[in-house]
Amino acid sequence: MYRNALQLVFVRPLYCLLFLAVSFVVLSVAILLPHIGLIKTLWQYESVTVIEIGLLVLNLYGSLGTNFTVLSATYTVLIAVLFGLQITLLTHYIRSVRSKATNLANVGASGIGGLVSGFFGIGCAACGTFLLSSILVLFGAGGVLAWLPFGGEEFGLLGVGLLVYANHLLMKKINAPLVCAS
Amino acid sequence: MEENYNKNQPNQYLIPLAIVIAGAFVAGALYFSNSGATANAPVAITDTNQPVAAVPEPTGSTDAVRPVTIEDHIKGNPNAPIKIVEYSDFECPFCKRFHDTMNEVMDKYGETGEVAWVFRQFPLEQLHPVKAQRAAVATECAAEQGGNDAFWAIADGYFADPSTGNNRTNQDVLIPELAAAAGLDADRFNECLESGKYDEHIQADIANAVETGGRGTPWSVMIGPDGKTYPINGAQPLAAIEQLISIATDNQ
Repeated sequence: MYRNALQLVFVRPLYCLLFLAVSFVVLSVAILLPHIGLIKTLWQYESVTVIEIGLLVLNLYGSLGTNFTVLSATYTVLIAVLFGLQITLLTHYIRSVRSKATNLANVGASGIGGLVSGFFGIGCAACGTFLLSSILVLFGAGGVLAWLPFGGEEFGLLGVGLLVYANHLLMKKINAPLVCAS
Repeated sequence: MEENYNKNQPNQYLIPLAIVIAGAFVAGALYFSNSGATANAPVAITDTNQPVAAVPEPTGSTDAVRPVTIEDHIKGNPNAPIKIVEYSDFECPFCKRFHDTMNEVMDKYGETGEVAWVFRQFPLEQLHPVKAQRAAVATECAAEQGGNDAFWAIADGYFADPSTGNNRTNQDVLIPELAAAAGLDADRFNECLESGKYDEHIQADIANAVETGGRGTPWSVMIGPDGKTYPINGAQPLAAIEQLISIATDNQ
């Protein structure tokens, strides 16, 4: 089922490009999110060239190996790939006639839930620089993190699960035989 | 058929709507990550577990970094044109990684006097209760008795020990071992450790970290030769730090 659906979509180079572009954007946001302040600062210094900023940003991608745990790096990459796949499959689906005759609520909700949950888990869970810790501490519940077995990284894993489910539903729909509604 | 088609019409708006919602969440993530929210402002504790002075509101401006003085814990040339002020937590595994990176930076730029590494305390009580603070106090007590060398001996030894981090360190064994290896007088050291005399100093470091925009560890501020400041959030790879040093040097 999965192979058929993927072949149907990725036979078109444009969809391959879309998949790569969306995955790259999501991964870049996840990795570069903590460094927006530095990039903004450099941008404000007139003497710093765009090339220098570009080189630094390239080097900052290396923080996937230093600023993440093995677990969080793994699910961050997985979330980026799965979300890229989700958008590509959705684009294919929405351009087909079937989108007008079927309900995509489950797919949409799971996909978005996966991305949001994944973003909650992104960052340095151990040392308080990730999004979830900011929100929890905002509500005076920062100590909750210390009690979670993976220190908040559970949300990243949940994100992967939801995106896998959303992609599964979508591929099922793509494979479903086209029938006339009565 | 026509009736069914019409009934399902709203579905065509579902995907664009979902993408907009996802975009809004990502934008929210960016906002929370970069606004000067007080969210993670940690509160230092005293030995009696009572919060001490309130942490100031973060300005988010690295220009608020406290000037480097001889009172700081400095590795390398104190008059180096580039200073990297690191706010660190001894129980944070990412600080451990960044400590190694900074040692590599100092191997390359320290001997030539180009870069100085300034270490300040940023124990995150909510994530690493009691132990992060205790380790910070231990290094301050080491500095009191044995000066800068003793400070760095304890700091380097603590991070180098594979059993440290994530609040799992057996400090009852490790801290006395490191103190003995640094040649410190055990009685004086223990007395200092229990005195609470460095709580205020550590609180001042925490306050300055938060004031400059630090919301997690490791948090660093690079000060360039012309006084321009650059935020370094988290454990950045060596290549990124080298690139930043190059930018600071070239753009005076």
